Amino acid sequence: MCSMNSRERVLAHLEGRPVDRLPVMPITMQFAADLIGARYRDYANDHRVLVEGQMRVAEDFGFDYVNTMSDPAREAGDCGAVVEHFENSPAAMVEAQALLGDKTVLSRLKIPDPLGGGRMHNSLRAITLFQERLRGDKLIEGWVEGPCAEAADLRGINTLMLDFYDDPQFVRDLFEFCVAMALRFAREQVAAGVDMIGVGDAAASLVGPHINEEFVWPYEKKLVDGLHALGTRVRLHICGNTRFALANIGRLGCDVVDLDSLAPLAEARALMGPGQVLLGNVNPVVIVRNSRRDEVQTALAECHRHAGARYIVGAGCEIPRDTPPENVRAFAEYARSSSP
Amino acid sequence: MIDMKPLYEAVLKGDAATARALTEQALASGMEPITVVKEFMVPAMDEVGRRFECNEYFVPELLLAARAMKAALELVRPLLVKSGVEPQGRVVVGTVRGDLHDIGKNLVAAMLEGGGFEVVDLGVNVTPEKFIEAVKAKNANIVALSALLTTTMPAMRATIEAFKAAGLRDQVKIFVGGAPITQKFADDIGADGYSENAPGAVTLAKVHAARAA
Repeated sequence: MCSMNSRERVLAHLEGRPVDRLPVMPITMQFAADLIGARYRDYANDHRVLVEGQMRVAEDFGFDYVNTMSDPAREAGDCGAVVEHFENSPAAMVEAQALLGDKTVLSRLKIPDPLGGGRMHNSLRAITLFQERLRGDKLIEGWVEGPCAEAADLRGINTLMLDFYDDPQFVRDLFEFCVAMALRFAREQVAAGVDMIGVGDAAASLVGPHINEEFVWPYEKKLVDGLHALGTRVRLHICGNTRFALANIGRLGCDVVDLDSLAPLAEARALMGPGQVLLGNVNPVVIVRNSRRDEVQTALAECHRHAGARYIVGAGCEIPRDTPPENVRAFAEYARSSSP
Repeated sequence: MIDMKPLYEAVLKGDAATARALTEQALASGMEPITVVKEFMVPAMDEVGRRFECNEYFVPELLLAARAMKAALELVRPLLVKSGVEPQGRVVVGTVRGDLHDIGKNLVAAMLEGGGFEVVDLGVNVTPEKFIEAVKAKNANIVALSALLTTTMPAMRATIEAFKAAGLRDQVKIFVGGAPITQKFADDIGADGYSENAPGAVTLAKVHAARAA
């Protein structure tokens, strides 16, 4: 087979065309910042640092893509939510001062301009810089928060969990706002040149099948369809145990379903059908960080066996910052040593 | 004798108003406060925990039940204190320094409270010094540390070391939990216990309380 570059490999794999090896797309953020000796605060707030970190990881460890993700607070922060920025770890929402602590604020809340100089704009600048430096060699992935995760950021995650029962209409209105904001942000990312948008919907793993069916799935579907209408591809990642929702996730139509380690890949394959591209899902702490390189490779082989040919090599979630480099190299080594 | 099964059901379903009203009725009818807690509220929260572990309940349902339990407990607690009834144990809970994530910690606090423990919730981003102050002030015998991030896991070790330095390590059992935490990590840092979920944390605390009794 002719040699292909990383971007061509991922795109061919997503389209079901032959590839020379499996694509490799684990999530790195803090690991990337540490690799270039950057403070995480700078990685998350200065697009040049993020680009440098992502490119170094991709080059040093043979990853096929770069991404713009750093923390879940970009969109909420631009909305005016209180965000705590730590010196060397990811920014986090301050729930006690949640922007929508008072529900009536939602009716007055405006979608911020992604080009308005905030942290969303910073992401867009990263995409532009990736374009200049990569010149089509690696796949560029942007990022938006999913409806449940973004709603949790704006309302407070504990309060949102009660809102599902206390005020269902408010939740629907809030999810509507979150999808509209994600699509507005995504439109600019597509214009800046991303090949794919990652959707992170972490809080969605906290609710059960009933709430997933009634609230989460319809808005995730609206988001995924909206992203496709923008002409981009979609990777969905939900931190935590999504075993109860695998069939629904399979009906979203995502180009890549990126599963955390608690969701069995074999079940996902059975429920989502043979065509769904699955990514993951080696336990990031117990295996990727705490085990030996050969154990990482064995775990990847197991994932590959369960997922079958429509598989992308990755961990269940972010590769932890203090993971031994040889364990991170194991991802690309596995991909090179096995055929899809 | 009034029928209190509806109180059990109200807590289970997360109906705070009904739980509170039924508790008021029970106390007015002369039922002992400790009976309300032990016969109805604790069993209801035990069932909530069982359903959570079996994936019949998820986080919203658990928080809803905890809210109902708290609404009823607010009426009962002052009476228990007045009559000198001791809780199963006193637990100081908090998310460790540098970490603002609290939903797991909140689930543990709610389940412990529902299990008959007195809970002092210090919130998030809690320094070792604050944990120590709270243990001293409340004469607590259990400390429950939570962390969601791998980057804040070292703060658990630092907290345990601070208890050693303060000469309090032997007076408290220290339990740890959170998404990246493992039994091995708990062992490595010298914690007394680890649980992967909130009901498990209650079991750990109850085992400790039984041994201490």
